[in-house]
Amino acid sequence: MKFFTGNPANRPAEVHPDAPQGEPYLAAEDLVMAVNLAIFLQRPLLLEGEAGCGKTRLAAAVACELGYPLYRWNIRSKTRYQEGLYEYDALLRLHDVNLGQKLADQQRDGERPIDPGNVENYLALKELGKAFTLRDCPAVVLIDEIDKADLDFPNDLLTLLEAPYEFRIRETDTPIRAHHPPIVIITSNKEKGNLPAPFLRRCVYHYVEFPDQPEQLKRIAEIHFQAQAPSPAQEGATALPEELVDVAIDRFLEVRNQKGLAKLPGTSEFLDWLRVLAQFGNQAPYPLETLRKATIANLPYRELLFKLRGDWRQSELSTSP
Amino acid sequence: MTTIEGVGGETLVLEAFLRLRRRGFNLGIDEYLAGLSLISAGAAPLPYGQSLATLQQGLKMLWCTSRSEQGQFDGIWEQALSAIAASPQVTIEDIAPQNPTPPPPVWPEQSPWSSPPVSADSTQGRDPQPALGDLTPAPQPVRAPFTPAEVDHSGDLQHYWPVSRRSMSYSWRYLRRIVPAGVPEVLDIAATVRQTAEQGFYLQPIFTQRDYNRAELLLLIDQKGSMMPLHPFTREVADTARYESGLPPEQVTVGYFQNVPGEFLYRDSFLTEPIERQTLLGRCNANTSVLIVSDAGAARGYRQLDRIRTTIDFLSELRRITQLYAWLNPLPVDRWSGSSAEMIARLIPMFQMDQEGLNRAVDVVRGLGLPRLRP
Repeated sequence: MKFFTGNPANRPAEVHPDAPQGEPYLAAEDLVMAVNLAIFLQRPLLLEGEAGCGKTRLAAAVACELGYPLYRWNIRSKTRYQEGLYEYDALLRLHDVNLGQKLADQQRDGERPIDPGNVENYLALKELGKAFTLRDCPAVVLIDEIDKADLDFPNDLLTLLEAPYEFRIRETDTPIRAHHPPIVIITSNKEKGNLPAPFLRRCVYHYVEFPDQPEQLKRIAEIHFQAQAPSPAQEGATALPEELVDVAIDRFLEVRNQKGLAKLPGTSEFLDWLRVLAQFGNQAPYPLETLRKATIANLPYRELLFKLRGDWRQSELSTSP
Repeated sequence: MTTIEGVGGETLVLEAFLRLRRRGFNLGIDEYLAGLSLISAGAAPLPYGQSLATLQQGLKMLWCTSRSEQGQFDGIWEQALSAIAASPQVTIEDIAPQNPTPPPPVWPEQSPWSSPPVSADSTQGRDPQPALGDLTPAPQPVRAPFTPAEVDHSGDLQHYWPVSRRSMSYSWRYLRRIVPAGVPEVLDIAATVRQTAEQGFYLQPIFTQRDYNRAELLLLIDQKGSMMPLHPFTREVADTARYESGLPPEQVTVGYFQNVPGEFLYRDSFLTEPIERQTLLGRCNANTSVLIVSDAGAARGYRQLDRIRTTIDFLSELRRITQLYAWLNPLPVDRWSGSSAEMIARLIPMFQMDQEGLNRAVDVVRGLGLPRLRP
């Protein structure tokens, strides 16, 4: 059993070919602990927190460091739990029955095999199914925004996400049993109120806080801009001026500490804003003094920070320098 | 190196677990065992067994399922600690201060689950067995599972939240009357395959009619006056019925009234758009479910004859149109006696607004009638 350390340098030399590549992520100590707790107890990790604070990105960071493949299952309002296991294409099979009678073995090489006698041709494993069938290592499964789904959805998942990690493909009557229990990371925004209690009880719960210390933000900015460092030829043009980062962090925290904002800008907004300040427009990087002196109402690229009309207006009323 | 693993740690975990359960945390025996396994030998590479602070943090993440629960955890943990310290048999060594840097972790190859997580001597110390008797895990849900109603609203009445939003949406889902209608447009795969197999060749796909939920709901909500403190809650009742019930919007009507459903009701919660009672009831048919949400005078203990008479008028008119009606009273049953609620409850199935009451009311308005009490 391998544990997460939050340091991408611990990535093993040999990784699964589907493992994600370098994911810049700064995991706080208690978040690392929550991940390890989930790995150790083999329970799903439920993440809540402000939008844009890195709930979703964590899964990629965990998969990246441990060298496991990441399967991301995006939940929509009509998602059924079955869709995460496998798909059976009955229509295609029906179509092939007809086609087969007409084609009479005229099949060409390199095409999809048309053999409606074999049900396997019409089955495709989906995220959880893939994770269960991995032989060499566990997988990281991200169940993104579980609260969007129908009310019954979390309850349907319950039996799947605990021992013996097993489901049955009805069409072929084969049981699929996990070789390694997957590391399951679930994110929720509480759109439809709380998740059902039996589900909550089985999860390790962590609330992802916004990193509101300037040092943390600085570190996050460094990690991210390192990761997307362009080829050496362009480096001079897009390097991140350190002073600009400091000033931007100051101003950003000031915006967040403003009273009365309904939607606080998160880490992802911060990174976007910083990148735009450093690299966008004909005066990039943005002049330091102007940024320092701008009132909140005149902050450059406010479009990236305020996402509600009320917040936008509130920021215009603000008089602080 | 000694750790808090052993008798002291296990007693502490048990004590904290029992205290949390008494405070209403939804924890089962699985959660207890998971908590114990944190300080078992298998968890050695993780820091939980090394100091009280890390154990506290680990249990918090494991046993709390919301921020408000996390907020309560620390206090309960302190109580558990002092309760343990008061009992002389047990000592807990917290070695963290002397040894601030944990040793470099060595990742074990074997899963700790290959051995049972609870060590054999866990019954030493204060015997946990008697306490375990009442720790049976909650039964599996057969209908809407219990969902904690976490309240993030501030204000004095924040404790009034008898049904969570999710449970409400759940209850509305049971309000259904499925009728196939319209042109046949849904491909019936099974029937098509069967027909193809019977004929030996494929002619055409078989279509069936789409199923529609034809249930209709008329929700009548008492507004203002004694219902004023309950507005956030009744708003949620109306919202979930409108948007999360799975019913098409034109099949849900919400009407508002003040004190009694008189000649005029209102289309909005501010009571500014009046609508004649006749018009409102005229839209109903024998299949319309009618739910009334009101305290019926129970909040202030009123017993005013004219109000009761108006309500009776309304009910007898309603009864001529549909038999599917029920009354939800936000006040508990023991507050009804002596007020007009007691009398109205004899005329119409009246339920206390909680999980159980809401479920039963929805049962009644979908036609699974309870025996009606007649005056």
